[in-house]
Amino acid sequence: MERKGVLMTDLRTREAKEAFAYLGGLGYEMLSVPDGVCLWNETELEAWGKSLEKNLYAVIHPAPPLFLRPLSEQTEEDFGQAANEGILSAFCVTKVFGGMFRERREGVLIYLNSIHAEKPVGRGSLFSMGCGAVQMLAREVNQDYGTHGVRSFFVQRGISQYDPDGKSDLSNLYFGVEKRYPERKMPQADALNSLLAFLLTPGAAPLSGSDLRADGGMTMYYGERITEEQVQEIRRRQLLENRKEVTILGDV
Amino acid sequence: MATYEERVALVTGSGKGVGAGIVKVLCSEGWRCCIHCNSNRTLAEKTVAQIREAGGEAILLQADVSDPAQAKALVEQTVQQWGRLDLLVNNAAMQYNLFIDEYDVERLRKLWNINIGGYWRMIREALPYLRKSPQPRIVNVASVHAKRPTCFDAGYAMTKGGIRMFTRELALELAGDGIPVNAIDLGGTRIEFKTGNPAFHSYRPAETRNPALDGKVRLVMPEEVGHLVSYLASEAASAMTGSCIRLDGGQMLN
Repeated sequence: MERKGVLMTDLRTREAKEAFAYLGGLGYEMLSVPDGVCLWNETELEAWGKSLEKNLYAVIHPAPPLFLRPLSEQTEEDFGQAANEGILSAFCVTKVFGGMFRERREGVLIYLNSIHAEKPVGRGSLFSMGCGAVQMLAREVNQDYGTHGVRSFFVQRGISQYDPDGKSDLSNLYFGVEKRYPERKMPQADALNSLLAFLLTPGAAPLSGSDLRADGGMTMYYGERITEEQVQEIRRRQLLENRKEVTILGDV
Repeated sequence: MATYEERVALVTGSGKGVGAGIVKVLCSEGWRCCIHCNSNRTLAEKTVAQIREAGGEAILLQADVSDPAQAKALVEQTVQQWGRLDLLVNNAAMQYNLFIDEYDVERLRKLWNINIGGYWRMIREALPYLRKSPQPRIVNVASVHAKRPTCFDAGYAMTKGGIRMFTRELALELAGDGIPVNAIDLGGTRIEFKTGNPAFHSYRPAETRNPALDGKVRLVMPEEVGHLVSYLASEAASAMTGSCIRLDGGQMLN
């Protein structure tokens, strides 16, 4: 029996790579976009996409890597890049592959996005505006392609251990991350992966058009009280160590 | 604290429609307003004339806010005229009214560059002047399409969803400067002229049509948007920031 093809459009983030491996382990034929095919070039994407048409069952479109920069330091180039990576790529992927699914009257589109479609950090205006835009794209897709058998989902993933930390001096969202979860621990990658696996099944059809917040409850949880001294200590350590991983408050 | 008579507002896309309603209300309250237009100067001149006839103070500037140099000049000329800027209202936008399949990437890029790029550029250019104001405000006119999908225009909805999050980010980023940033999720509004495809609603699938637009729920009047902007610019609203206020006459309750 032919394996169902699942295209992961962007493998730059660790979450996307892990989901790619996880879903492959479940028996899906995992596909990625080759070098040289630009996600925001509709013609290029469409030409390449035709080669997948036969067994492509679902497309997962991850958000680009988190980009934080103060407004006054943002340039026209930054704006253009954010538009290409955050907006136009999602749109082209939707049009090319969603259109394919629409004709076939079957298929799944998953926008693997971020809680920054709801939650600001004060330095992420270009990134978050893209998340908000793709959130609306997913809803519109459900209205339009949804009437032609295409299922679509918008997943807001929470913070993971791979996210950059300490880059927004205006939000404590990335500080003391573990204690920001009601269960006092960061959800493991498998929790997100198993959600994606579920969304690929016909059983998830009633959820089509939904925003699914896979953040372990952190967005709606105020977290444990963290003193200003603790925050300052965390910031100081991070600056000193120039660490890439999210600091665990328990380490302090 | 500056009085209304001293305060200056720049409202993009205010030559006609919603923007014209905003500047008419502001000028009637004593604000000095820069009326901005891009494509339809004739209607904008009419708006300026109406304001001046009513005793208001306004100037008209023409610019394409998708062009960085023109956006910069628009802010600078406003400040040159009156020496200050207290309120920026981002309103200039366009729509195509196309289904997803009918869009092409260049159309979406143009839409993005105006509907949100224009907002982004204007805020960046206005920021140095707003920081000097005793009571600075930014208001971004968004739409109910920032939250609710309606098959109205997927690209337009994307830009409005983007504005919703842009507003929230800036509310946090500019809090330290004392600049509240809010958005208005505007519903169907009675205007004399709109961009996009006027026949669009006639070929939308019946199940996606909003009964509000068939006259079953009242449309918003442009001046009503002006009254909300006036409130957001007031001292009374200084605690409000990062909000997206729905102004739609109850249309989205359908």
